[in-house]
Parts: sequence; structure tokens; C-alpha cells
Amino acid sequence: MNKITVRCTVNHKSVEVETAPNKRLLDMLREDLNLTSVKEGCSEGECGACTVLYNGEPVTSCCILAGQAQGADIVTLEGISPDGKPDAVQQAFMDSGAVQCGFCTPGMILSAEALLAKNPNPTEEEVKQAMSGNLCRCTGYAKIIEAVLMAAQRRREEGQA
Amino acid sequence: MKRRGTGVGCMFYGVGNTGLPNPAAAFVQVLPDTSVHVTVGAADIGQGSSTMAASVAAETLGLEYENIQVSWADTMYAPEGGATSASRQTFITGNAVKNACLTAMGELKRTASEELNVPEEDLVFRNREIYSGKDASVRMTYPELMAAMGKKGRLAVGAGYYNPKTTYLNPADMSGIPYELYSYATTILEVEVDTDTGEVTLLKAVSAHDVGTPVGIKMVEGQIEGGTAMGTGFVVSEKIDVDPKTLAIKNPTLSKYIIETCMDVPVVYPIVVSSEGEAGPFGAKGVGEPALIPSIPATIAAINDAIGSSFTSTPIFPADIVKAWQEQQAAKN
Repeated sequence: MNKITVRCTVNHKSVEVETAPNKRLLDMLREDLNLTSVKEGCSEGECGACTVLYNGEPVTSCCILAGQAQGADIVTLEGISPDGKPDAVQQAFMDSGAVQCGFCTPGMILSAEALLAKNPNPTEEEVKQAMSGNLCRCTGYAKIIEAVLMAAQRRREEGQA
Repeated sequence: MKRRGTGVGCMFYGVGNTGLPNPAAAFVQVLPDTSVHVTVGAADIGQGSSTMAASVAAETLGLEYENIQVSWADTMYAPEGGATSASRQTFITGNAVKNACLTAMGELKRTASEELNVPEEDLVFRNREIYSGKDASVRMTYPELMAAMGKKGRLAVGAGYYNPKTTYLNPADMSGIPYELYSYATTILEVEVDTDTGEVTLLKAVSAHDVGTPVGIKMVEGQIEGGTAMGTGFVVSEKIDVDPKTLAIKNPTLSKYIIETCMDVPVVYPIVVSSEGEAGPFGAKGVGEPALIPSIPATIAAINDAIGSSFTSTPIFPADIVKAWQEQQAAKN
């Protein structure tokens, strides 16, 4: 099969990836760029484990072909903390005990980042709506919602300081 | 019409494998820098068994949680842990870690006894110090003890295991001791049922769990919140659709096997109930499956309470609810 060349921005860096045209964005990120925080759960856009930010919007990368990333700005969990230090959302997930098996966590955090970028002061209901595309079997979601609200509050406080 | 109902589910749960030996083991070494290496067979898939093992080791040795490094599950180096099932690892691997630590403490006690001139049985190991229970001014720090161990050429190593005190069950009448330890729990749950559409809204749940001594209260709460939510899903949306001829599962996808989102789960208020004096490490008991169990009958009972139905099995889908409601109204008229 002839390869295609995908030029896009991944985690704030311009990349040029030679990849198979039948790969999904999920496969390109995991296999060609070794970004294994992107998890494959249901492979049909239901569970949100493969969520990445695509031009700032949370999308399920299992439902996007690699070629559709041409020219796009893609952010995975690795791009949230490029210096290796957890950002406010990641820290809040740890502090509130929102991680159990951890498989949904990268997608959850990216959905939260997308929400907070647009709405730094969300209500609990708005958080639930924003996170409703990400399934979690372990936690019952209570501590995940708590973590997002905690991160929002900490970011607002940092902004004021 | 929207109708509200409340249901209660209670359970007791035998921790460990039923009427069978089911031991687990642990290896422990206290290193010269006072860090500790604990190795267990228990597989931690996020429920926190490694955190539990570190907590038990720190408590037994008189060190801090941060001093403990846990390696787990790899059969190349870890001892037998048995299955991570039956909510058994806190109880059984926890006791194995405690026993391994007590063995490793043999040389620590001998050395501290010599250094402090205190009989071994009077020594207290706590908060990174070793002191006489009769005169707390006679004391040494853990780094001092490990330095003394080094000078004498002694190592603090231990292996330990634990097997619950159960018996095989008599096949004639199933008599015997199936479990050494039981967990107890009650869930009370409130729903709102739309009798026109059959939709069930899960409002809130209070779930109280006797976990003995909670090891990591946030982890215990997380288990309760997750288990309670999962139990409601079993009632309102989850059905494993098996083809009766081929026995194949017909809906092995998340678009056809519907688990709850954060919009669907009830608000869960976990209540962690402490109890004392049982066989687990420092009194701890299992909470994994107990978190799930009472939520299921509580949800069924809440739906029955709301619409006067008599469902006894899961799942209960909207069509079932509408049918039950209409049959009941027809019977009244």
C-alpha cells in the first residue's frame, strides 16, 4: 500500500509522518509517534478512552482517519505537561483519588482540559455534560467530577494571585 | 406521571474463596537506608492492593508509607498471591505482608535489644523510632538501628504467608467454615420513575460499609462509589444478550451494552463504618465486591416502591416498566 504523508502539529511541534492511508488517527499517534497515553477502548467512538484534542476540540481518535489530521493541531496527554510536571487537572485527579485502573484517565483529562479552556468556571452540571462522552467503570465518576471542579477552582485562584 | 421510590439492600459477604485453602505470601527486606522492599503476588489493577501492602508494612515496621516500595504480580520474582478476586487481597495478602514484616523484625528486635539493653518484648517500633514501652526515653532512631545492623553483619529479611482459617464444606449438608471473615453493607437508594416512558432516574444512594479498619479512606470511598454506581447500571441499562443457540454474546460492544455515564449515575454518599477485632491486618476487611452487591437489590426495590411492581430480576428496561405499570392500572380498573 502506498504511504501517505501527514503534516500536522502534535503536542506543540510540527511533525511529518509517513503512514498507511487506512490508519486511524489513534493508530498513527500510538504506532508512528509512540504516544501511548492514547488508549483504544471500544473502537467505535462510545467510550472516549482515545480522546485527543483536535484544534482544541475533544474528539475520539478511533473515528478519525490519520489523513484527516492534515494541517490540524493535535494534543495528547503527553502535550499537557511537556515539562513532565503535572498540570492543574492532572494534579487534581491525583489529589481527589479520581484514578483507579487509569485506562479512562487520559481521555478524561483531555475532555476536562477542553472544557476548562472554554469555560474556566463551570457548574457541576456543565462538568458532567462535558465529561459524559468518557466512560469509567471503576469510580462511579464522583471523584472525577470533583477533580475537574477542583482544577477549575485552583486555576482561577492562580489567575487571581 | 413521575413517581418516586426508595429501596434498601443489605448484604453480608464472606471474604476469600469459599471453603477452600487460599493462601497468599509476601517477601520483605528493610534496607540499610531504612527503605523497605515488599514483594507480593497480588495484582493491582488500580483497586489499591499495593497501596494497602505498603500501608500494612509501614504500620508493622514502625516506618512511614513513603519508605515502602512494593513490587507486585510478576511471577518471575513475586511469591504466590492467589487470585485477585473474592475481595481477598486486603485480608490475605495484607496479613502475609504483616507476617513477613514480623519475621524481618526478628533481627531488628535482637539488635535493638542489644543496643538499648531493653528486652525484645518491651520494644516499640513507631514513627521511625525504636523505644522501650516501659521508658520511652530509652530510644534510638531507625537509621541508628540499621547502622548497628550493618556493623553486626545482619540483614532484616522476611517471608510470610497467610491462609484463612476455613474448612472444606461437607458435601452432604454444606456444613463447615466457608470463610474466616465477613464484610457487611447496606445501600439505600432513591429513584424517580416516569410511568409514561419507563425511564428511571437514579437520584441518590447512601451506602454504608463495614470495612473493619479502612486502609486509605479515599480508596475505600472510591470503591464504594464505583461499586454502587455499577450496581445501578446492572438494573437499569446493562444486559448481556446471549444467543441461546450459539451461546455467543450478541452485544459485545459499548454501543450495545450500555454502561452509565456521569450523567446517569446517582449521587453516592459513601459511609465507611469501622469495626474492630477481626482477623484482617490491623482489622482491615475486603470492600471490592461488597461495594457492588447491595446496590442491585436496593435499585430493584426502589423501582418496585415507586410503581408498585414486583420485579425480582435484572435488568429492568423502560419497556418492562411501562408494561408493569399498565398491567397494574388495568387490574385496578
